[in-house]
Amino acid sequence: MIAVQTADVDIGGLINAAKQRSTGAVVVFDGIVRDDDIVEMELEAYEDVAHKELEKIAADATTQFNLLSVDIVHRTGRLAVGENILIIVVSAGHREEAYAGSRFIIEAIKKGVPIWKKELTKDGGRWVPGEHGHGAGKRG
Amino acid sequence: MTIKVRFFAQFRELFGTDILTDAPPDGMFISLIAGIAHSNPEGYNAIFDKNGAFLEFVILMKNGKRIDNSDAAATTVADDDDIAVFPPVAGG
Repeated sequence: MIAVQTADVDIGGLINAAKQRSTGAVVVFDGIVRDDDIVEMELEAYEDVAHKELEKIAADATTQFNLLSVDIVHRTGRLAVGENILIIVVSAGHREEAYAGSRFIIEAIKKGVPIWKKELTKDGGRWVPGEHGHGAGKRG
Repeated sequence: MTIKVRFFAQFRELFGTDILTDAPPDGMFISLIAGIAHSNPEGYNAIFDKNGAFLEFVILMKNGKRIDNSDAAATTVADDDDIAVFPPVAGG
């Protein structure tokens, strides 16, 4: 499952679906809205491009780390403290591949997928700074 | 027959988004964005440097493909193009 959506996702269901007979490890990354003295977090995406970028990252990770399955769900819209932002579920034959594949995916998302976060506070809001020099849809 | 220009995040707040416009007289990408940005001096300075070039961190796309900032001055636009301009990404 690769998705950019407002709805939350059943992580337990993704874990169960990721298990195959050859699976030796499932790694779950769950990015959560942290209470940095904020009221809510607002997430915005260039959805068409973001979805394509997530699909490419999943394919690259699958090839590079011999993953058996990859699920990535990135949420958008307004989220409260404690809510899930990003869920990554990967399965592999061994833990090393599963951990490495999961790490590869989260780092690639932070560098290249067109999604932005705004922390909403009592006094207004502030955009979370992105990584300069990187961006989505690089040529090729 | 128009061009759609999308801004995201801070830039959306400055200019709005899904702006439908005609191609500029010279047909150039940079002229298209500058023409919109001139409506908001604060916004203009968030995208362009003092020489009128795109700031290094501004990300540009045409029809879903990245345009290197160094190529923007030589990139043309035409009817039905889908243009996007946004700040560095911060997902995850």
